[in-house]
Amino acid sequence: YRDLHTFELQAPTRLIEWARGTRVCVAGYGQSGGNEILQLIPPPTLQAKESQGLCPERDFKVECGGFSKRPVYSLKYVPDTSLLVTSGPPDSSLQVWQVSAEDSDVIKPVSTIVTENGTGQPWARIATISARAPWVLHGSTLDSVQITEVELRKTVYTAASRDSEELSGLAFLDCNTLLLCCARGRLCVADVRQPQGPVEAVAVPSVPCGEQWCMGTACGAQGSELSSQPVARLSSRGLLTLTDLRKPSEPLASAKARVPSPGSGAEFLCVSWAPALQGCLAVSGFDGTVHVYDTQSWDSSGREAEPVFVHKGHAFGGAGGGGDPPLVTVHTWHPQKPRTVLSAATDGSLHVWDWVEPCGKC
Amino acid sequence: LSAFSLCPGAGQDVGRSCILVSIAGKNVMLDCGMHMGYNDDRRFPDFSYITQNGRLTDFLDCVIISHFHLDHCGALPYFSEMVGYDGPIYMTHPTKAICPILLEDYRKITVDKKGETNFFTSQMIKDCMKKVVAVHLHQTVQVDEELEIKAYYAGHVLGAAMFQIKVGCESVVYTGDYNMTPDRHLGAAWVDKCRPDLLITESTYATTIRDSKRCRERDFLKKVHETVERGGKVLIPVFALGRAQELCILLETFWERMNLKAPIYFSTGLTEKANHYYKLFITWTNQKIRKTFVQRNMFEFKHIKAFDRAFADNPGPMVVFATPGMLHAGQSLQIFRKWAGNEKNMVIMPGYCVQGTVGHKILSGQRKLEMEGRQILEVKMQVEYMSFSAHADAKGIMQLIRQAEPRNVLLVHGEAKKMEFLKQKIEQEFHVSCYMPANGETTTILTNPCIPVDISLGLLKRETAIGPVPDAKKPKLMHGTLLMKDNSFRLVCPEQALKELGLAEHQLRFTCRVHIQDPRKEHETVLRVYNHLKGVLKDYSVQHLPDGSITVESILIQATAHSEDQGTKVLLVSWTYQDEELGSYLTSLLKKGLPQSTA
Repeated sequence: YRDLHTFELQAPTRLIEWARGTRVCVAGYGQSGGNEILQLIPPPTLQAKESQGLCPERDFKVECGGFSKRPVYSLKYVPDTSLLVTSGPPDSSLQVWQVSAEDSDVIKPVSTIVTENGTGQPWARIATISARAPWVLHGSTLDSVQITEVELRKTVYTAASRDSEELSGLAFLDCNTLLLCCARGRLCVADVRQPQGPVEAVAVPSVPCGEQWCMGTACGAQGSELSSQPVARLSSRGLLTLTDLRKPSEPLASAKARVPSPGSGAEFLCVSWAPALQGCLAVSGFDGTVHVYDTQSWDSSGREAEPVFVHKGHAFGGAGGGGDPPLVTVHTWHPQKPRTVLSAATDGSLHVWDWVEPCGKC
Repeated sequence: LSAFSLCPGAGQDVGRSCILVSIAGKNVMLDCGMHMGYNDDRRFPDFSYITQNGRLTDFLDCVIISHFHLDHCGALPYFSEMVGYDGPIYMTHPTKAICPILLEDYRKITVDKKGETNFFTSQMIKDCMKKVVAVHLHQTVQVDEELEIKAYYAGHVLGAAMFQIKVGCESVVYTGDYNMTPDRHLGAAWVDKCRPDLLITESTYATTIRDSKRCRERDFLKKVHETVERGGKVLIPVFALGRAQELCILLETFWERMNLKAPIYFSTGLTEKANHYYKLFITWTNQKIRKTFVQRNMFEFKHIKAFDRAFADNPGPMVVFATPGMLHAGQSLQIFRKWAGNEKNMVIMPGYCVQGTVGHKILSGQRKLEMEGRQILEVKMQVEYMSFSAHADAKGIMQLIRQAEPRNVLLVHGEAKKMEFLKQKIEQEFHVSCYMPANGETTTILTNPCIPVDISLGLLKRETAIGPVPDAKKPKLMHGTLLMKDNSFRLVCPEQALKELGLAEHQLRFTCRVHIQDPRKEHETVLRVYNHLKGVLKDYSVQHLPDGSITVESILIQATAHSEDQGTKVLLVSWTYQDEELGSYLTSLLKKGLPQSTA
C-alpha cells in the first residue's frame, strides 16, 4: 500500500456514491428502519491529488444526513440538481430526496416515484442522467424498465418487453442508449428515443446458467459514443467476461477470479473499471477482500487470473472474533486518484486504500 | 430548568466553556474556561452577563470544573480573585492537583514573556485553589441542604469528570469533554442510568467519522522512524498532559519492539511533574495500566529520559517532547529555533494551535518567521501535524445518551454549525427533546416535578382490601383526601382528614320515587318487592323490617299509595352518597317493574 485509512461507520453500507466530484455518500440497509443516508466530506488527504504526509484532518465529516425507514440498497445523485434517488425493499418504488447543504444539514425526503404493479416486486436498480432533463432509469425486471423525469415524476420511456427476468444492473451508455444486465447474465440494449421502445438482447455468447451476474461499465460520459471501454460481467462463481458492445458476438476476454467456494451468494457482487487506469478493474463481494485485475493480459480462455493486488483489510478488521467474517458489500474507485479505492463491508468498516503494484510496475 | 452558555460571540473554533445552569432556584456555573486565541479581555467570559449588580458569591451556589484544560479552567483565578467569588469550587482530585500547574505555566508565559498586566498573579492562583473542594468519583457531595453533585469518569484526560447536579428530583448532567473509547492510558467515560432532566454535552466532533487509531499511530510512528533513521531530530511540542503520556507510551512500545537506540527525551518542568501525577492518580488510568502497574510501571519509561537543555546540541538522532504545545514560548520554542534550519529534522504538532503562535504559523505553511529582535528564522525542517485528541463522535454521544437516559439533551458546539441532523437523530432514536442554542441564548426546559406524598397505613390497608386483587400491570385507583399542611403532603382517609381539620361530615341522601302499577294493598306490594329483590340480589342483605320498609344493605325502600291513583304504588328508594352505585342499580331494577307472580 501507499496509503491505507480505515474508518468505522455507525451502520454498514452497501453503496458508496460520489457526488459533485468530492463528496461521498453512504447509506444504511438495516431491515428495521432508522437507516441514515450520509453525505460525507472526505479528509483532505483524499481530496488532494498528491498524497500528503501527516495531515491535520484525517477524518470524514458528515456534511448532511437523512433518515430512511426503508433499507437503502441503491442511491444515485441526479446530476445538475440538488436531488438524489434511492431504492430498496420491500417494493420497486423510488424515493426522491433533496440535499441542500448550505441551508441545513438534513437531507429531506421530497417525493416517491411509484411504479405500477410495484408491490411485491424486487427492489429497483437505478441510474441517473441529466442530458435532456433530469432522468432516472429504474426497474427491477426487464418488463418494468422505465425512465422517469425526476422533478415532474413523469414517465418518459417504458421498455416494451414481456420478459419478467430480474435485473442486476442498468446504465446509460449515452443519453440515448440504455444497457441492461439481467441477473442470469443476458445483456440488453434499448434506444430511449422511442418512448415504448423494444429491448434488444445483445448478441453475446451465452453464459453458464445457474449463476448470478452483475455488470460494470465505464462511467458513461455524456454525449460520447458507445463507450470504447468494454462491459465487464461478473458471476457469482467468479467468472469474468469482457464484451465490446460494438462487436458483441466475439468475446473480448474472459477469466476466472480466484474466489472461495462455495460462494457467499450474489448479494454484494460488484465489478468496476478504474477510471484512470486502462484495462484495470476491481472485483468484490465474495469475502472480505477486494481484488484488482489487469485485464490487458487476458485472453478468451477463461483461465484463472492472478490479481495484481488484493486488499485484505476488511477480513482482519473485525471487532471481536465471534460472528461471521465481514463481507465486502461494495467498492468504488476514486475519480481522479488513479489507484485509490474505497470499500465497505458488512461490519460497518469503510476503507480507503491506495495500492502499489507489488512488482513495481507503474 | 435553564441553561445559558456564557460565551457570546459567534464562530469560534476551539473557544472556551462556561455554562450557567439554573435548577430549582439554584445557580451553578459549569467550567470557567479561557479562550486561547485572544490576548485581551475577550479571552475571559463576560461575567457581567450573570448578574448586573449584586455579588457573584450570593448569586452562584457553586462552580464546577470538569478538567484541567485551559479552555475549561483558564479563567478561574480571574473569576474568583479579580471579579470576585468566594463560594465553593468543585473538581476532582487530579484536576485540583494539576490545574494550578497549568495556570501558573500559562501565567508565566503571558505575563513574564509577553509582559501583560491585566492578568492574574501567582498568589491569585493559590488563593483560588484554596476555595476548591476536591471530590471523588461517584461520591455524592452536598453543596447545601438541597443541592448535591456527583462526579463520573469521563476519560479524555487524567481527572476529567462528568458531573451530575441534583436539586430535589430535578437533575442535570454536564459532560465537559469526554471520550467513549478507551485509549492507551485512560478508560472510557461511563455514567449510570441516572435519567437527568437535562444532559449537556459537547458536540464539536459529532459530525466526524474518525480515522482508526491504528492508522494514525502507524503513520506517526512511520514519520518518526524515518526521521530518526536518517539521523534527524524529531521535536514534538506537547499541548496537554494527556496526549503527551499517550504518545510516550506509544513510542516506548515501538522502540522496544523495533529495538531502536536513538534517545527519547522528555523536557523538564511541566511534563515531569505530570508523570509524577499520573503515578499518583493511577486509579484514574485505565485497567490495563493498573493491571500491569504491579509488574512494571507504565510511566517508568526505559527509553525515555529527562531532557537537559544541553542535549539539544548533541549530534545524532533523537526525539524530544517539549512544552509548551503551540511553540509560542519556552523550551519547545528554544529547541525549535536550534533545529529549524536542518531539513533532516522534523517537528510534529500533536494538537490544535491558536492563531498568532509559531505553531499556527508553520502549520499554515510559513517558512520564514520573524523572531524577537527582528531576526528571521528560516524553517527547513519538516513540519507535520498529527491530531490525537480524544473527543466523543456521534456514535459516542448516542452511547452516552443511551446510558444516562436523559429527558432532554442540550448540544454545546464550538462552531455555529447547523446540527439539525444530529438533533433529529437524537430525537428520533430516544424520543427526547434536543436543543442546540446559539452562543448567548438561554434554553429553558420544563420539568415535571415529582412531589412525594405520604399515604397513611390505614388508608392503604383499607383501599387494598376493597375490590379485586391489585394487578401489577394495571394502575389501581385509590380514593383518599390530600392534606397539605406545614410543607408536608399526606394522603389519609376522609374520616381522619375531617377529624384533623375539625370539620363536620355532611351526609348526602338521595331519594327516588318509582311508580309501580299494583292495585293491591301497600303491605302486599312491599312483600312482592321484597321477594323480588331477595331473589335477584342474592349476594346482598335484603331485609323486611317490621315497620313495613325494606332494606338492601343500607338502602331504604318504602311503599306508599299514590295520592290520586289507588292502582299505583310509589316506592321511595333512599340511599346515601356512599351507596350511589347500588342505589342507582336498585332504582333501575325497580323501574323495570315487578314480575307478575310472586309467592
